[in-house]
Amino acid sequence: MQIEEGTVNELPCLKQLMMALPGENDKDPAGEKLAAILNQVPARKVPVSSFSRLWILGSLHAKVALGYLTCWLRSRFAEAGEKERLRNEAHLTAALQLLGTMGYMRGAVMKLGQLLASLPLVVPEEFARTLASLHFQAPPMHYSVVREVFLDEFGREPEELFASFERRAFAAASLGQVHRARLHSGEEVAVKVQYPDIARTIKSDLRNLRILLQPMCMTADWHNHLEKLADIEEMLMMETDYQQEARFGREIRNNFTSEDRIVVPRIYEEYSTRRVLTTEYLCGVHLDQFLAADPDQELRDHFTHLITAATMRLLYRSHWLLADPNPGNYIFMDDGRLGLIDFGCTRVITDEEWRLQREFERAVINRDEAGINRAIARACLYNDPEEMEPERLAVVGRGALWQMEPWKTEGLFDFGDEEFFRRGIDTFLDVMRRRYDRGKPLYLWTNRFVLGARGITFRLKGRCDFRKIYEQESDACL
Amino acid sequence: MRISAQAKQENRARILEKGAELFIAKGFEECTTRDIAVSSGLATGTLFNYFPSKETLAMTMVSEALNRGREDFRRRRTGEEGLDEDLFLFIASGLRRLRPLRPFIGPVLERSLSPFPRKTVCPEGEAARQEHLDAVHEILAMHGFTKAPDYVAVTMYWSLYLGILAFWAGDDSPNQQATQALMDYSIRMFVQVISGNGADRGEEHAD
Ligand SMILES: Nc1ncnc2c1ncn2[C@@H]1O[C@H](COP(=O)(O)OP(=O)(O)OP(=O)(O)O)[C@@H](O)[C@H]1O
Repeated sequence: MQIEEGTVNELPCLKQLMMALPGENDKDPAGEKLAAILNQVPARKVPVSSFSRLWILGSLHAKVALGYLTCWLRSRFAEAGEKERLRNEAHLTAALQLLGTMGYMRGAVMKLGQLLASLPLVVPEEFARTLASLHFQAPPMHYSVVREVFLDEFGREPEELFASFERRAFAAASLGQVHRARLHSGEEVAVKVQYPDIARTIKSDLRNLRILLQPMCMTADWHNHLEKLADIEEMLMMETDYQQEARFGREIRNNFTSEDRIVVPRIYEEYSTRRVLTTEYLCGVHLDQFLAADPDQELRDHFTHLITAATMRLLYRSHWLLADPNPGNYIFMDDGRLGLIDFGCTRVITDEEWRLQREFERAVINRDEAGINRAIARACLYNDPEEMEPERLAVVGRGALWQMEPWKTEGLFDFGDEEFFRRGIDTFLDVMRRRYDRGKPLYLWTNRFVLGARGITFRLKGRCDFRKIYEQESDACL
Repeated sequence: MRISAQAKQENRARILEKGAELFIAKGFEECTTRDIAVSSGLATGTLFNYFPSKETLAMTMVSEALNRGREDFRRRRTGEEGLDEDLFLFIASGLRRLRPLRPFIGPVLERSLSPFPRKTVCPEGEAARQEHLDAVHEILAMHGFTKAPDYVAVTMYWSLYLGILAFWAGDDSPNQQATQALMDYSIRMFVQVISGNGADRGEEHAD
């Protein structure tokens, strides 16, 4: 894509940003165009009409292009001299700050921030700080907007529906914001309210994205790109339907008992619609605050165990993947329980996908190399390992085996081990750099999940007997 | 025949009610004053005693809805709102009352509220405009704007408002959600402009 210098009306947007990212564009391996775009961003005025246009590309960007961006960041910052590195970071910071001020964009930027912030070895510190500050800014819908949403959804004002309702949101969500409220029956609840018209914006922008990608239609992996885009679209549409999230939430809640020490908030259906989701308020802190109190190793291990057990239970019992493992979705409760929230991005693994996953798992545990290669080939949409370039097989294989390391390890697994974490990031970036990203759409989500979740447990510096948890959860579902 | 004030009131209300039904069923353009007179049980000539034209009739519906919207706004506002929240609440309350008329309202608004110079100005439209702007002025005063906005600010506000109305009339998103997003941005923009550059006094919630 051409990026022209200085056309007044055209805001250099994430659309361009995304196109310019390495891995998507041979012509810009060093990210120069991206730097040029970022150069322009802070100086430009923002036309109002482009807000909603930008929105989804921001979100998609956050969801899909994480790899590309981190890759770019890393290579850019590693190879550049100190001065240039600082300048680049400053530009990026400025761009993000700008995006962060645009009402409806904020959610998307925040999401990107969450994802990047959970990869502490990858993101330069100054940049991470900007992201963190965006996260804690007041969310963009003022109360008059919220009231209209309520009148449309319930025919009543928030204050009529609830015994009390806090006008100011206490947390931002990716497609809306969250308010605290109390039911007439006395329960404290969290009420997630969606921005007006966000679902349609997503749809129309995905249409645009498809058109935008059209020039790539001659490339070998075109069909695969479309398939992935369809998967992403389905997931995004699901995220816009809070009733769907409520259905997942209910089932997920049924998977845990009080003995598990994992709490999934109760959903209040009478107070929920497609655009408003009311759940039991869970009292506790997020990862940053938890870490700020300098918890001892025992407590870190305890929560690492719970996070692992929760994911493995859903994976093995329901074949569900919580594909959006950002730190905001875990609540560390005072009494040592783990709160799990946000099921909008739950990927249901199909039977066929699951069979392949289990085959791969078995091959890894039995150290059956031929089996491992066969499974990898199929995951990458080849009939046979012979069809793959040996280098592709090796690079993708390294990544896949890194993901499975905990499965192979008896006893305590240390997720805080820097060498382990760094190796994972490196293999992932290697796959991206070489553009070996062809594969079944499911792996978009498993990669995102593994990177996100391991980023969290790495920051937790926690350990757990992964193998034992795995055996318990997978046996229980036989 | 002389009829009582009460009967007059009833006739007027019936014409408005039947008129709205017919406009919704047939569309504003297709519907004739005769149709409305017939279904209101009145002679066409009698109808003209109440409403001199179809436009006046339709615009009266609009004004009445907007008046109710203004009352809703006064009732709903808590006094804690920032300027942009107040303006949003005000416009949204009006649109909510206008909602039942939405199926036919486009051409009515276009004729009665058009900002372009016209040979015959629709008096109901002009009155509605004035009332709306008075309310806006009142809202501004509540937020410390001591002087009435000058013609530039007024024109700008009115253009934004007409833009919102026009968009809303054709908005096919559920519950006109897209209009809500548009309103939010339009109002923020207006508030920013009249608050002077940089400082955004109307938007304390977004500090
Ligand atoms: N039941 C709850 N109890 C306590 N806090 C909650 C609850 N639900 C939501 N929150 C708060 O609101 C934030 C956003 O909620 P949630 O994760 O459900 O939104 P989301 O749209 O899925 O956002 P994201 O995708 O960014 O996680 C959470 O990080 C948390 O701080």
